[in-house]
Amino acid sequence: MEEKMNFILLVPILFPVIAGVFLLWKREFQKRRSLLIFVGAVLLLTGAFAAVGILGGERRFTAFYLTEELPVFFKLDELGRLFASLVTVVWILAGFFSFAYMKKEKREKRYFGFYLITFGVLLGLDFAGNLITMYLFYEFMTLASLPLVLHSQTGEARMAGLKYLFYSFCGAYLALFGVYFLVRMGNTIEFTPGGVFESSFLLEHQTLFLVITMLLVLGFGVKAGMFPLHAWLTAAHPVAPGPASGVLSGIIVKGGVLALIRVLYYLIGPDFLIGTKVQKAWIVLTLITIFMGSMLAFREPVLKKRLAYSTVSQVSYILFGLAVCERTAFEGALLHVIAHAFIKVCLFLCAGAMIYQTGCKRVEELRGIGKRMPVTLWCYTIASLGLIGIPPTSGFVSKWYLGTGALDGKMPVFSWLGPLVLIVSALLTAGYLLPVTMRGFFPGEGFACRREKEARLMTAPLIIFAALTLFIGIFPETALTVIRAISGVCI
Amino acid sequence: MNAILNFPCFSILLAMFAAIISSVLKGKGARILNTCVVSIVALMSLAALIFTVRTGECYVYVMGHFPAPLGNELRFGALEAGTALFFAVIMLLSLNGGRRKIKLEIAENKEHLYYVMVNLLLSSLLALVYTNDLFTAYVFVEINTISACGLIMITEHGRCIEAAMRYMIMSLLGSGLFLIGICILYDLTGHLLMSDIHASVEAIVAAGTYSVPLLVTIALMVVGLAIKSALFPFHSWLPDAYGYSTVSSAAMLSSLVSKGYIFLLIKLIYRVIGFPIFTESRVIDVLFIFGIVGMIMGSLSAIKENDIRRMISYSSVAQIGYIYMGFGLGTLAGMAASIFHILSHAATKSLLFVSAVGLTDVSGNHKDFERLTGAAYRNKAAGVAFTVGALSMVGIPAFSGFVSKLLFAQAALDQHGKMLPALIVLAVSSVLNVIYFMKTVIRIYTPVQTGYPSIKMRENKLFVMTLLCFIALNLLLGMCSEPITEWIVQGLHVFA
Amino acid sequence: MNAVYLLLVVLIPPLAGAVVAFAPWRRRAHWMCFLELAVILNSVLVWLLLFNRPADTLTLIHFTGELSIAFRLDGLGTVFAGLVSFLWPFATLYAFEYMTKEKHERVFFFFYTLTYGVTLAIALSDNILTMYCFYEMLTLATVPLVMHTLSREAILASRKYLYYSIGGAAFAFIGMIFVITYGDTTEFLLGGVLNMSKVGENRDILQFIYFLTFLGFGVKAAVCPFNSWLPKAGVAPTPVTALLHAVAVVKSGAFAILRVTYYSFGTDFLRGSFAQNAVMAIVMFTIVYGCSMAVKETHLKRRLAYSTISNLSYILFGAALMTPFGLVGALSHMVFHALMKITSFFCAGAIIHQTERIYVHQLDGLAKKMPKIFGIFTVSALALMGVPGLCGFISKFYLASAAIESGNVLSYFGIGCLLISALLTAIYMLSIVVRAYFPTGEFREETLEGISDPNWMMLLPLIVFVIFIVGFGLFCAPLISFFGDIAGV
Repeated sequence: MEEKMNFILLVPILFPVIAGVFLLWKREFQKRRSLLIFVGAVLLLTGAFAAVGILGGERRFTAFYLTEELPVFFKLDELGRLFASLVTVVWILAGFFSFAYMKKEKREKRYFGFYLITFGVLLGLDFAGNLITMYLFYEFMTLASLPLVLHSQTGEARMAGLKYLFYSFCGAYLALFGVYFLVRMGNTIEFTPGGVFESSFLLEHQTLFLVITMLLVLGFGVKAGMFPLHAWLTAAHPVAPGPASGVLSGIIVKGGVLALIRVLYYLIGPDFLIGTKVQKAWIVLTLITIFMGSMLAFREPVLKKRLAYSTVSQVSYILFGLAVCERTAFEGALLHVIAHAFIKVCLFLCAGAMIYQTGCKRVEELRGIGKRMPVTLWCYTIASLGLIGIPPTSGFVSKWYLGTGALDGKMPVFSWLGPLVLIVSALLTAGYLLPVTMRGFFPGEGFACRREKEARLMTAPLIIFAALTLFIGIFPETALTVIRAISGVCI
Repeated sequence: MNAILNFPCFSILLAMFAAIISSVLKGKGARILNTCVVSIVALMSLAALIFTVRTGECYVYVMGHFPAPLGNELRFGALEAGTALFFAVIMLLSLNGGRRKIKLEIAENKEHLYYVMVNLLLSSLLALVYTNDLFTAYVFVEINTISACGLIMITEHGRCIEAAMRYMIMSLLGSGLFLIGICILYDLTGHLLMSDIHASVEAIVAAGTYSVPLLVTIALMVVGLAIKSALFPFHSWLPDAYGYSTVSSAAMLSSLVSKGYIFLLIKLIYRVIGFPIFTESRVIDVLFIFGIVGMIMGSLSAIKENDIRRMISYSSVAQIGYIYMGFGLGTLAGMAASIFHILSHAATKSLLFVSAVGLTDVSGNHKDFERLTGAAYRNKAAGVAFTVGALSMVGIPAFSGFVSKLLFAQAALDQHGKMLPALIVLAVSSVLNVIYFMKTVIRIYTPVQTGYPSIKMRENKLFVMTLLCFIALNLLLGMCSEPITEWIVQGLHVFA
Repeated sequence: MNAVYLLLVVLIPPLAGAVVAFAPWRRRAHWMCFLELAVILNSVLVWLLLFNRPADTLTLIHFTGELSIAFRLDGLGTVFAGLVSFLWPFATLYAFEYMTKEKHERVFFFFYTLTYGVTLAIALSDNILTMYCFYEMLTLATVPLVMHTLSREAILASRKYLYYSIGGAAFAFIGMIFVITYGDTTEFLLGGVLNMSKVGENRDILQFIYFLTFLGFGVKAAVCPFNSWLPKAGVAPTPVTALLHAVAVVKSGAFAILRVTYYSFGTDFLRGSFAQNAVMAIVMFTIVYGCSMAVKETHLKRRLAYSTISNLSYILFGAALMTPFGLVGALSHMVFHALMKITSFFCAGAIIHQTERIYVHQLDGLAKKMPKIFGIFTVSALALMGVPGLCGFISKFYLASAAIESGNVLSYFGIGCLLISALLTAIYMLSIVVRAYFPTGEFREETLEGISDPNWMMLLPLIVFVIFIVGFGLFCAPLISFFGDIAGV
């Protein structure tokens, strides 16, 4: 019985994709309402299917074979569960936010079509049980999310979209170089915690594997906005519609993180990496990215761009945690995946809500926004505190783990340099996020404005995200049990 | 069967008498006589060919039954008979193809003189092919030169006369060198009959004396014949002579006259000097080098040329280079390839000349490419024939040029030192051939609005028939090369 | 089946073409039906032959010695013949619709169908001489097609094509002579026919000659110094550029290289030699060069032509690996690239036919008016990039894994080139797609009045091709194992 039900893994992947394609292919809906009902139903149903999959036991399913050596194979392990539940929660909530936000935008049908397709593809990425399947969904993730970036069809959007596309493919192909080698040289391409290679085999081909690992890191690092191939992120995320930039920044960049965890911790094995030049180079890159992202965010006047730079910086926290190859840091990284997802989506949705209501895009225009949209700004503030890492928010816990992990790591310089950079960056984060709150709540003398009506469809997701941020901060054990299960098998 | 043994001698005499008789005939009579004579010669050569191939032997015909020192000998085997047949056929076709032009370009009261020259040319060619006597060969070389000059200048066109003068001077220079060579050889050996000379030469080489004079002799005779057959760098007379004379003359000059000399050279190599002695001398390397340089330079000049007839003429320079390169390889296979190329080039080049004139006819007698644009639509038969000729020159399979290229390349492989240069030049020269021939083909198939009239096939049956025969001949050489190469090799074995 | 059928399939197309060109026809539809039926019949015959492979050889003409014109159907030939005969009926159907706007249709179709026969003859060649002969004939048969419009540009292009092709063949000729002389036989046998006792000390020369041969045949396959004819030849009507300059002609070049590499010179002889390294370097350079030029090019068909240059070198990269896996990769890319490129060319042709727009920057917003064509074009673009799930990924995967398996360090760089090229492919293909689907602000929809998808004759081939692109992308195990059998993996 258990065996037969395994195809259920396919349902949450295919269902939204088919629904999305159907939506694109169909003529315009007569009423906006029916479109929304359709999309909402699909989102919720997919969520339900995904939940059935996630909550069930260990599932493995081979859909079909591309060729004899390349099965498209799905497997649900702890890591997949973690990411899939994250995607599901964020996607549904951001989807409902879009219902309100997209009212003012044209071509809604196309937006929602690709939104649904991306949902399915992301679930596919999380469920992927081997390298080829993951790569397949990784590429489709880029393609499916591209129309979200291009949505506004301005010249700027097109340039940003193309940039997104080319950087992403550049990264994908850098990684593909490594993927070819991993497929050819490994005994299996199925993800196995701790790696699939014999250590003697790795030592025999050490140079080759170091090159491959570096390329994989650089390649998948593109999606995660890692220096030096990060420039697409700050161009692409801000031009998308608000909720889309939220999920792009919160979820899709995590695609790169997931891919890196998969290849490094599930195929090559973290032991190989420890103490190598590649590890050092990677750590240096992440630290540069963390610092640089924060600095750039600090001097960026446009709110959404500022948030995008912040993403660059924050995702590299996660990468730093991964690069250290140490258990606590790894746990911190995974925790930061969750924390950053909720926080960044929340921040982008707040920014979206502000733009929707006021049309203001630059930070200095947002004076007094707290008077006009208090709920939104409160959510924004909570999320900001999370991102800075002030207790009792989730960001604090994750950064704590990252920092202590780095200190525990047996690296000569980085064990103290890493935490230092994290702290400096946290200060900068405070510097670029909090002015909005301060100006918003305290516009200063002679500033008069009235409170505006905030759409409930918009505020509800914001409140949920903010609440989740606090919840994980206060009860980190809920998330940590899952994370420990993962780190226990990986390291 | 004994009658057949007389055929070579008889055909030479027949052609010569026909020349004499033609001088008193009117144009039309001379033409008919000439056609008959060439046909009869062809038939006789065919009979001789069949006979010799069947017996596989070589026959010596002693003129007037006088023994060696005084008398004169003809000698023929399969190779000679076949070459004679081939020459006669090509001559017949070339004359038929240019018949209309002959009538147009030559004054009516001089037409019979043209046939006189043609008959003389035929007799001298046959004599060059058959003779076994060096001095006779020299005599007929001169006759050949004179008749060829006549053929060039018969149109009395200014440039033709100039070309003929040039040809005359270069030719006489060549035959002068040849004569000196004969003299020295006679001095060394005391013989004029080829077989006798050969025995003496072998004795001289064996004794090790007179090695320098012998080398000089070989060099003089070879260079003399090379000048006459327009080997690069002695080709300066060629483009004008072929380019401005009447078409039949050009076709015959390029495919027969120069080939006659080359045939004589082969005879010199095999029968007089002896193949081993010849290959050991350095002359062979010089021939090889001149051959491959000629292949390239001829083609380069052809590319630069803007006149279709002169372009084809320059192409001849390149093709002669192929033949000398084959000699220069110094192997039996190389020689066989050269002989095959003599045939294939003769068939192709005369086809090209004849069809080119068909094209210029419908372009207001202009020979430059600009005016030839679209000519293939105005004269379809000539267009097709020119294309076939061009493809053969380029070396497209199924046409004769391909087989000769194949044979050359295979021959080059046996010869280690010369393999790579030969092969690469062969390839480069094919590329160059493509450039100028295919450019022309595309040009004549580019439609354009012009005032020039077009010619229907029906109006020009003789021309079309001739072209068809040429094409058939070309395809025959290209598709059924096996018996022909066998014949060549067999002929070469009994040649010496 | 009897080997005589091999000759039959070569002869039917030219004869049918001749009937179309020279017989008096009352109406266009009549000869169209006749020709289409003849082509389909021929293709059916070919496929019957492929499944009942005649074991013996059919010798037509004996040249000197053991040289002969002969036909035989072996594994490699099966792939090429199958590919060509699958594509031709569809391409003919497409051409009927496309050519309505052109002149001299019947002459065009004569040469078009003639080319079918000649290409099949190349596929079915038993020995190197036969292949060479038909290789030359292919050039001649296709020149009139390039020249078709008879514009000055077309004539210059065809002239260039002719020079390059025949010139290349002249060098290939040298290689042929060497194989004839140093081989045990002229037939194609997997593993090569060179007789090592004859070769003796001439190894270096022979390897050099292989290099020359590679370049010679490589002219048709558009390797780097000799590729400028291909974009120029894009002036031909689109059915020609699509079928001939993306499949039949250029693949004949690649096919010939596969033949001489794996079946004449033999990989054991060549592997590790300087010839292999030189060839691989050239191929790798071409891969990147073609793509870079495609990115630079704004003319739609020329862009695709440059893309072809790059992709052909993928196939040659497989050849240059000189391992059985390399052959598998080369064959799979030969088949898959044919599908992808003919699809994208046909889309380009449909765009030209419907809108007369030929530059990339004129395509803004067209996707809305021609959704089917652009949908198909997008799929082919993604496939060309090598997105997993479409067939391009499979062939690239096999090429790359063959490169890894060969253990040659130079070939690792080759993988790098493949990936750089994939990225550039993404740039030049997707920028078209993005442009068509997401026009920017200044775009006005009124300019596209009256533009629509073409009729079924153009769409049917495209739909069939797309089904195969996706189908092979998702499931091609039997095909790959068939290639494996051919290559003797």
